[in-house]
Amino acid sequence: MIPLVRATHAYHLRWRSRLYGIAGLALLLGVIMVVATAVGSTHIPLNTIWGILLSRLPLIDIIPAWSAAAETIIIDIRLPRVLLAGLVGAALAIAGATYQGLFRNPLADPYLIGVAQGAALGAVIGFLLPFTWHGMGFGIIPLLAFTGALVSTTIVYGLARVGKTLPVTTLILAGVALGALLGSIISYLIIFSGEKMHGIIFWLMGSFSLSQWSEVKIVLPYVVVGIVIILLYARPLNIMQLGEEQAQQLGINVERLKLVLLVAATLITAAAVSFVGIIGFVGIIIPHAVRLIWGADHRFLLPLSVLTGAIFLILTDLIARTALAPTEIPIGVITALCGAPFFLYLLRRKRKILF
Amino acid sequence: MIKIEMQDVCFGYGRKVVLKEMTFQVRPGEMVGLIGPNGCGKSTIIRTLSRIISPHSGKILLDGKNVREIPRQDLARLLGVVPQMPLLPSAFTAFEIVLMGRNPHLSPFQYEGPRELTIAWQAMERTATHSLAERRVSELSGGEIQCLLIARVLAQEPKAILLDEPTANLDIGRQIEILDLIKNLCRENNLTVLAALHDLNLASQYCDRLVLINNGRVHAEGTPKEVITARNIKEVYGAEDCVYLHPVDGLPCVLLNAGNSKSIRTKEEIA
Repeated sequence: MIPLVRATHAYHLRWRSRLYGIAGLALLLGVIMVVATAVGSTHIPLNTIWGILLSRLPLIDIIPAWSAAAETIIIDIRLPRVLLAGLVGAALAIAGATYQGLFRNPLADPYLIGVAQGAALGAVIGFLLPFTWHGMGFGIIPLLAFTGALVSTTIVYGLARVGKTLPVTTLILAGVALGALLGSIISYLIIFSGEKMHGIIFWLMGSFSLSQWSEVKIVLPYVVVGIVIILLYARPLNIMQLGEEQAQQLGINVERLKLVLLVAATLITAAAVSFVGIIGFVGIIIPHAVRLIWGADHRFLLPLSVLTGAIFLILTDLIARTALAPTEIPIGVITALCGAPFFLYLLRRKRKILF
Repeated sequence: MIKIEMQDVCFGYGRKVVLKEMTFQVRPGEMVGLIGPNGCGKSTIIRTLSRIISPHSGKILLDGKNVREIPRQDLARLLGVVPQMPLLPSAFTAFEIVLMGRNPHLSPFQYEGPRELTIAWQAMERTATHSLAERRVSELSGGEIQCLLIARVLAQEPKAILLDEPTANLDIGRQIEILDLIKNLCRENNLTVLAALHDLNLASQYCDRLVLINNGRVHAEGTPKEVITARNIKEVYGAEDCVYLHPVDGLPCVLLNAGNSKSIRTKEEIA
C-alpha cells in the first residue's frame, strides 16, 4: 500500500496548495475591500474607516469620533460600490468558468448565448422611453435590461433545442446569430438616440458610479444562490470535460446538468449586467488565468474564479474612479487595459495546455 | 455477471438505416466479439447499448430489464464502456481520469473519499498504469491511454464491459497486451464482455463467441470456428480463399493474398 500513499500524497498535496490558494485569496479579498473603501477623492484616515466599518457590526460599541459626512461617504457611497463590484466580478467570473466548462470551449464567455445583447437592448429601450419609473429600489433600465437578457437567452435556448437535447454547437451558433441581430438593432437605436447617446454608450461600457445599497440587496441573492448551485455541481462538471458521450456512460444526466448550470449561470450574469452594464473581459479571462495558475479541476477553478473575479473588478473599479478623478473612466476600458497584458504574460510564461 | 440482449433493434441516422432488426445476446460471463466491415454498425451497437442513442424500435435488455427504464447512474453501475480513442481533457492527471470512473457510485455533490482513491489506485495497479498516475493525460501515448481507459472502467466496477475497437491504432505487442488484460479481468471478475473488433485474427483468438455483422444485420453468430469460415468472409468482406487454421491452437485465422478483392476493377474491366 506504500505506492498508494505516494499517489494519494501527490493528490492531497495538489488539494492542499489549492486550498491554500482559496484561503489566501479570501484574505486578499478582505484586505482589498477595506483598501478600496479607504481610497477616494475625499481623504478619510484609515482609523476612521475601521471605526465606521466596525461600528456597523453587531455587538461592537464604538463612540463615533468622526463627521456624519465621512460616515455617509463610507457607508452609503463607497461601500455599496465596492460590494457591487465584488459581486459582479464574482458572478461574471464563475459564469464564464461554467460556460467554458460546459461547452468545453476556451472562447466561451458569459455573454455567449445572448445575455449581453438582450440586456443591452432592454437598457437602450429603457433610455429611449419618454417616461421613467422607479419601484422596489431600482429604475426602469435595470428592469428592462434583466427582462431583455432572459428573453433573448430563452429564445436562443428554444432555437437551439433539438427534441429533448440541447446540442452545444447549435446553442453557441444561435447565440452568436441572435446577438448579431440584436446588436444591429442596438446600433440603429443608438444612432437615433440624440442627446441620450452619451448615457447609453457609458451604460454599455459598464459603470459602478450609481451603485446603491438597494442594488446590492437585489443582486446579492441572485449571485449567492447561483454561485452555490454552480459550486455544488463542480465534480460532475469535471466529468463533462470528457465529452457528453463519456459523461453519460459514466452516469451523468448530461441534459439535466446542462440545464441547471445554464440557468444558474445565465441568471447571475443577467442580474449582474442589468445594474452595471456590459462589463467585458472578466468572464473570459479570469477563469483562464485561474486555470493557468491552479489547474482545471472545477472544484477549485470555480471558487478561485469567484474570488479572483471579485478582487479584479474591485481593483479595476478603484482605478476607474481614481485615475482621472473627478472624471470616471468606463470600467470596461480599464478591465481590458489592465487585464489583457497580465493575461498575455501568464499565457507566455506558463504555456500549459488550457483544457 | 449480467446477460445482454438485443431484440429486433432498428436504428438509423436520419434516412440512413444502420441497424435492421438486430438480435443477438451475450450470455453472463462470456467474452463476445462484434466483427464486421467498416460502417456495418459495430459502434452504433455499442452506443445503443449504453443508451447514448435510443433505438427506433426493438428492445435492449440487461438481465431482462429494458435499459430505457434504468436511470443513467444505475446503468453506469451495470455497464462500463471503453470508448474508441477518445480525446481526454489534457489538463487532468491519469489518476484523476481513473478516479472519474467512480462517478456512478457517488452522488453529484459527493467528493471521492479514501475508498474511491483506493479502488482507483488498485485499478491502475492491475492495468500497470500506476507508474503514470501523476502524469498529465496529454503526455501519454495511445497505448497508455487505452490501458488508462481500461483502468477507469475497472474502477467503475460494472457487471459488464463494452469495448469499441480497444486495439485500433496499437502495435501487435500492445494489442495482445490489452486483450490478455481484458480476458484475465473478465475471468477474475466474472465480467460479461462485448468488444467491437476489426481484427478477425484477434477476435478468433480471444472471444468465446463472435457476432458477424453486415449491413446492419447479424450475418453469422457462434464460436470462432463457426463464424470465421471462407464462405462468411467472402460474403461479408469480399475477400476470397483466405481462412486457414492456426497451426498451434487450430482456431481459424485470416491470411490475405494480394489481388483477391472483389470490388476493385481494372481499367480494362471498366472499359
